[in-house]
Amino acid sequence: MAQTQTRTRPRLPVQPRPQGRSQRQRDARTGFLLVLPALAFVAVFALYPLVFGAYISLTDWPLVGAYHFIGFANYVSLIHNTVFIQSILFTLEYTAIVTLPILLVGYGLAILVRSNRRGATVFRTLIFLPFIVGLVTESYMGVVELQPDSGSINVLLSKLGIVRASTAWLVHTGLALTAISVLVIWFASGLTMMLLMAGMQSIPKDLYAAAKVDGASWWHMERYITIPLLRRSIVLSLIISVIGSFLAFNQFFILTDGGPGTSTSTVVMSIYSAGFAQFDIGLASAMSVVLIIVVGLISFAQFYFLQRDVTD
Amino acid sequence: MAVAAARKRQRRRNYHEAPLWLYLTVGSLVSAVFVVPLMWEIFRSFQPAAAISNPPSAATFGHLTLENYRALLTGQDDILRNVVNSIIVAVLTSVLTAIVATLAGYGFGRFRFRFSGFAFGLILLALMIPFQAVLTPLFLELHSLHLLNSLLGLALFYTAFNLPFGTYVMRNSFLAVPKEIINAARVDGAGPMRSLVSVLRPLVLPGVATTALYAFLFSWTEFLGALTLMTNDGLFTLPVALSNVETGTYGAVNYGLLIAGAVISMVPCIVVYVSLQRYYVRGLVSGALKG
Repeated sequence: MAQTQTRTRPRLPVQPRPQGRSQRQRDARTGFLLVLPALAFVAVFALYPLVFGAYISLTDWPLVGAYHFIGFANYVSLIHNTVFIQSILFTLEYTAIVTLPILLVGYGLAILVRSNRRGATVFRTLIFLPFIVGLVTESYMGVVELQPDSGSINVLLSKLGIVRASTAWLVHTGLALTAISVLVIWFASGLTMMLLMAGMQSIPKDLYAAAKVDGASWWHMERYITIPLLRRSIVLSLIISVIGSFLAFNQFFILTDGGPGTSTSTVVMSIYSAGFAQFDIGLASAMSVVLIIVVGLISFAQFYFLQRDVTD
Repeated sequence: MAVAAARKRQRRRNYHEAPLWLYLTVGSLVSAVFVVPLMWEIFRSFQPAAAISNPPSAATFGHLTLENYRALLTGQDDILRNVVNSIIVAVLTSVLTAIVATLAGYGFGRFRFRFSGFAFGLILLALMIPFQAVLTPLFLELHSLHLLNSLLGLALFYTAFNLPFGTYVMRNSFLAVPKEIINAARVDGAGPMRSLVSVLRPLVLPGVATTALYAFLFSWTEFLGALTLMTNDGLFTLPVALSNVETGTYGAVNYGLLIAGAVISMVPCIVVYVSLQRYYVRGLVSGALKG
């Protein structure tokens, strides 16, 4: 309607007073005023810190006094910063360990809860609870339950004959990584389950009906219908869990505080200690910029995959 | 009987479904893996601190007490004020996020204006900024705004990082309102704010609930930001205060207190989630399916 009107308007010998236009201008102003608070929030507390941080990373910003512009010196020094490099390698190792289990466990759980059978909704709610409660609270619980001799996890595992009751999980790099990985897989699988379940439920039922007529087995339907049509959801949940692992901080800070030494220190932890323990604000900002670029690349990869999916 | 059994068999073969009893058994066992540890911690929080820090013994195992909670909430260095801090920040964040996101969603969803696409893009860009990586500059910025060590400052920061998702959800809510309703309100002479309050409000309320719920859960469980931007014990939120309990800043390390504190932090999440679940899942699905 509106389009035809604009197209025919020039043919009119006398343009009627464009009552619609002043209305449109008023609308434009209202719309802009409505989004202004949100824009201001995001600009002040997210975009400005981003730009400011990038600027600080090019300086030797001290706690008090004047600062000097030092170019890329902070970035160059990162190359020789063994603590930072080690935290990158550790974060990659941790990410590599937890990503696939979270996807596979989440997929299995999604198969369980995607049906509309009796009980499915309750199971969905219960399995998702660890994610809702949050890793911080659960890490505190882990601190208590992983104690040698007194912790429930140690008592249980020693009764099953798996470890000795006196196992000190949190002061040994490998054991700490194992314990935290299991905790995180338990915590995060529920989210992957929900994302995959939403994807599975949006697949048209006719496809399965048609496959059944052709005598397809359960596995064939899963392999040739569900998984290909679920690609978007799978990519999305992978990206979410990889970014989450790259940004890991809470569980390591609470359970090991990066120790023993700095052997379980993650990237965000080295940023935190560079900035707020050593007060090397320029260095911390340079580390942050590196992290933002890496996380940004993953996000772009997500858009790329999802975009390609649409055009396929 | 025979017909019913045959039909049942038929249905089972058609849908490749396991019998219901098997489904319920497997489902219950799997659910137990995720819930029993949390329930176990509630039980543990009622054990005396000595029973929590020592190897289990049959004599003391069933002895339950409120001593941990009493010590935490009324003791000399209680965490009651930290619980109150957490409530203040979480409520402030959800209310602010809900209001600002609703206005923005209304603007993006129902009004045409110049650069609206660009503005929406800027807000979504913030969705990709990990807040963990801007805390150092944010610390300096809040310091110069006198918002460091302030519950309001923390809530403003949480609001900013919850707005991109909230704005996205609210824009979709407003886009889903049929045009006829908007036009009818306009013909009746209602201005934009009038139609929002009296006509659109009930229609977008589920979106508002989703937005507020996510903001609440985020700020209730957030740790690193609060740890960085609060340096005064009295202003710590509950998750940060518990790290003091963990390291025994208030004297000897007492794991009874830590477990009880963790349970106090867990219960509101469960209550809020279980009662507002459908709004949570709505948000998840809209994010998941539209990418």
